[in-house]
Amino acid sequence: MIRQEAEKHLQQTFNLTKFYDEQWLTIVKLLKGEKVLLIEKTGFGKSLCFQFPATVFQGTTIIFSPLIALMRDQVKKLSALGIAAKCINSEQTPEENTQIINEAKQGKVKILYIAPERQENSEWIEATRQMNLSMVVVDEAHCISVWGHDFRPAFKRIINLVKLLPQGIPVLATTATATKRVELDIAQQIGDNILTIRGNLMRSNFKLFVVKVSSEDEKLMWLGKNLHNLPGTGILYTGTRIETEIYSKWFEHLQLSSTAYNAGLDAESRIAVENGLMNNKWKCIISTNALGMGLDKPDIRFIIHTQIPISPIHYYQEIGRAGRDGLPAFIILFYNPKDRKLPESFIESGRPAIEKYERVINAVKSELLGERELMRHTNLKQHQIRVIKADLMEQGIIRELMIGKNKKFEFIPESKPLSTKVFDELRKAKFADLENMIAYVETSQSRMQFLCDYLGDHASHTFNNCDNTGEKRIKVAVSPEWSEKLQNFRENYFPELEVESKGSSLVNGVAASFYGVSHVGSALHRSKYQQGGDFPDFLLKLVLKAFRNKFGQEQFDLILYVPPTSSGDLVKNFAEKISQVLKFPISHDLLKTRNTKEQKEFENGYLKTDNVHGAFTFETPSDLVGKRILLIDDIFDSGATMKEIGRLLTNFGAVKIAPLVIARTVGGDLV
Amino acid sequence: MRKEEATYWITLAHLPKWGHLKINNLIIKFFHENKISIEEFFQLHESIWREQYQLDEKQVSDLKQAKSELASIAFLAESFFSQGFDLIPITSPDYSKILKSHLKVAHAPAVLYVKGNKRLLEEKSVAIVGSREASENALKFTDNIAQLASKEFKVVVSGFAKGVDKQALDSAISYKGKSIIVLPQGIMSFGSGFKNYYKPIIDGDVLVLSTFFPKAPWKAELAMARNPIIYGLADEIYVAESAEKGGTWSGVVDGLRKGRKIYVRKSESNERNANNLLIQQGAIPVDFNGIELAQLNNLDNEEQPSIDHEQTAPESLDVKIRTVFNGKPLTAKELLTKLNLSWTSQKLNSYLKKLDFIEIIKEKNVNLYQLKGESNIKQTTLLFK
Repeated sequence: MIRQEAEKHLQQTFNLTKFYDEQWLTIVKLLKGEKVLLIEKTGFGKSLCFQFPATVFQGTTIIFSPLIALMRDQVKKLSALGIAAKCINSEQTPEENTQIINEAKQGKVKILYIAPERQENSEWIEATRQMNLSMVVVDEAHCISVWGHDFRPAFKRIINLVKLLPQGIPVLATTATATKRVELDIAQQIGDNILTIRGNLMRSNFKLFVVKVSSEDEKLMWLGKNLHNLPGTGILYTGTRIETEIYSKWFEHLQLSSTAYNAGLDAESRIAVENGLMNNKWKCIISTNALGMGLDKPDIRFIIHTQIPISPIHYYQEIGRAGRDGLPAFIILFYNPKDRKLPESFIESGRPAIEKYERVINAVKSELLGERELMRHTNLKQHQIRVIKADLMEQGIIRELMIGKNKKFEFIPESKPLSTKVFDELRKAKFADLENMIAYVETSQSRMQFLCDYLGDHASHTFNNCDNTGEKRIKVAVSPEWSEKLQNFRENYFPELEVESKGSSLVNGVAASFYGVSHVGSALHRSKYQQGGDFPDFLLKLVLKAFRNKFGQEQFDLILYVPPTSSGDLVKNFAEKISQVLKFPISHDLLKTRNTKEQKEFENGYLKTDNVHGAFTFETPSDLVGKRILLIDDIFDSGATMKEIGRLLTNFGAVKIAPLVIARTVGGDLV
Repeated sequence: MRKEEATYWITLAHLPKWGHLKINNLIIKFFHENKISIEEFFQLHESIWREQYQLDEKQVSDLKQAKSELASIAFLAESFFSQGFDLIPITSPDYSKILKSHLKVAHAPAVLYVKGNKRLLEEKSVAIVGSREASENALKFTDNIAQLASKEFKVVVSGFAKGVDKQALDSAISYKGKSIIVLPQGIMSFGSGFKNYYKPIIDGDVLVLSTFFPKAPWKAELAMARNPIIYGLADEIYVAESAEKGGTWSGVVDGLRKGRKIYVRKSESNERNANNLLIQQGAIPVDFNGIELAQLNNLDNEEQPSIDHEQTAPESLDVKIRTVFNGKPLTAKELLTKLNLSWTSQKLNSYLKKLDFIEIIKEKNVNLYQLKGESNIKQTTLLFK
């Protein structure tokens, strides 16, 4: 196919007049059945490089993508052009997925988007045998490399697949963000004469700012005051999920239009937020970095980070989502020197202790185990198990199997012992990346040039788009008015305890504070573990305020408290005081039937649930029939204890059980 | 094998309706004669397939079809390797030498699919086969043979059916021996088996092997087709128990026809099985410990199998038999009519073979019987080869 002919087809199919040279170069190679690695910035038009040949080929093109939002988005666009595109993903029902697989088998799908994890599904593998496959595309190919910013173990399998493909099947790997090291790693892994095409990374429409502050309060205040002055709509990235909640409550308090997003939301809520973003429903979406990768919204006008990312490549990737239409976009990064602690702790705690790896290896050596069973056998947290598992798979010590519909982990006989050398190297590389991120903050030169250099684009450009090269610097001024607003917010913001579930009378409760965010945590710790006596009165006041905030003047028939494991009568005394103030009668009949261990000794929810399962009883169950109960405890962690008691009291006839606690932990707090 | 070739091997090994012989001949041609890889062979122009490889139109079109399916097979192959399976093409030094020498070009599968300790394919081996519904005696015998084999560091080969097969495997494991399981299905359809035998597999004591398409489900035909693989992988073959038909029976008969030495447990007089029939067909009787017993001719009457319930008193039947011959050899069928018996001819065949006053004459694959010394028809071999 010659270019002229191709561009005619392009006009007919995609309503576009011509290709960029780099697009055409890529397409020619693919049409010849060759392999290409394409590194181009967001907005370049990478998708067209595979979508176009896909419409020319006889059979189906398979696109592996890690991002469901992106799949949905592209399928929508292709469908609007009349191109038969579909995606298979875990958020669709199995019936929908089966239907699409059937259409693909009948040759009715030209472009099929799937997640790399789909290779684990035997229905899919079975189905591929009946498909006529023309091309394989690996989107976000940096996920292949451990040296990239988003390594995903499932991509390892895609590499293996690509290697098994027969000669003559074209393969395209694409990414917007790859350092030279990642580029070479991808090319080497895919192997066999892959051609690398790399474009320039300069984004001249960005206006880059760094705002140095000395406290979290300054960030909240500047944003509260200035958010509505920024043009258009955009995204605010925070470092943790809890912060998305706090920022979103703060904006709500100030009546600024915003919503919170994180990977913990259910699919429906996530889709609603993504759609809202596309339609500019809110001024700002507050999110962890789970949102936005691959989202094809042309007019994101600002991207703000309240926390420095872990490396310049993460940063480039996240800000890359702004201003795809080429119009100006504000890119603001807040930096408090203390902020480096969070990425540092991510890196430090990124890998569990070696002893934990050994625990997993030994467990897997003696038995074929699934993730839950492994958590029970080793007393490790889910995310630790996942990190360990990924590392052990990477090192060829274990592998993942499907036994029926369940994933199990198998020890690989005669595998080499665990090597910690790789971990040390990766750790060092990550600290070096973090230092580079801080160097970005501290640089007095062009920030854009700094990013381009870091990413291996050494082409010469004119850089005049940051606060070091002509744009006005942003400074934060603290005013009494805004300090008061913030104080007011703090005293009226109480974290919700989400425990409602079907079949239980338990309702969502409230905590007076987060454990780590205020001085509440230290007060609790003093009383519990340092003989500090009863919980201080300011906690009582705060808890009562939280109660009024959540439950207003609602009446309860009975106050119960969670019987202690080891800290004596602290909770009992505290509950009695609450009972005196609220004038709800208190009962001391909720008891333990056996000794439990402190929940904090257990690292995961399954063991916490096991620890308290059947551990409680109530002396005179008939007292509970038809009763509304306020259930008091000091600290709320996984919620396993509340749920267990909720189940018991529901069985005894309680009609409403509302938890009220002093503090809710923020994942991983040491209490 | 380079892993990149796996896709091609899986495709070639299961070309529809080609059979082992055609596939192996093609492999011999490209690999041994022309010294090119399978990947290179598939890249050849179809005119070269026609001319140099002398493939006919049907074969060329089969290969073209197979080539178009390679990309799909790659998806399967990735899933296959990711679950720790491996494949051994017939050109690999890892391919079982004993299997190749037993099955030869006509019957050796082009690819072995395996999981577990591949080195077990190089060890001395003993196959133990027998019924799914095995008697206590058969299971005890199986246990005995597995124990002896394990002591002598021989690998026990079995077929993972109920009864004797499972006993052979479990006994070998319990005696800390080694085992090869030959599956009657594709290796990727053996999920729960891998769960149940996890420890012995990862400890290197068990190799699971299949020659069928990796995703093939269990089928009776595959169970039949697997028997020659079990026999082919074994240096020695022991039969614990066989009925008069079914997998074990036809497996042994097939083995005997191919000239294999097959040891059969000689059954006790009160047992109901066809072991002794197999012995009459040429299998070698062994005792409980697998020790070779004297040949069939020396078996005396007390040890005859009593596989019939409607026992006719032997003496009177024997007298009758002596009287029905009139100097002419007769087939079992003819004898049945003359004797007015309701037996199957097979049953009568085996009965007649044990009578010391009857001799057998082979004529065009049919056994004829006559009273000893009565005929001048040329006597052929007494026992099957």
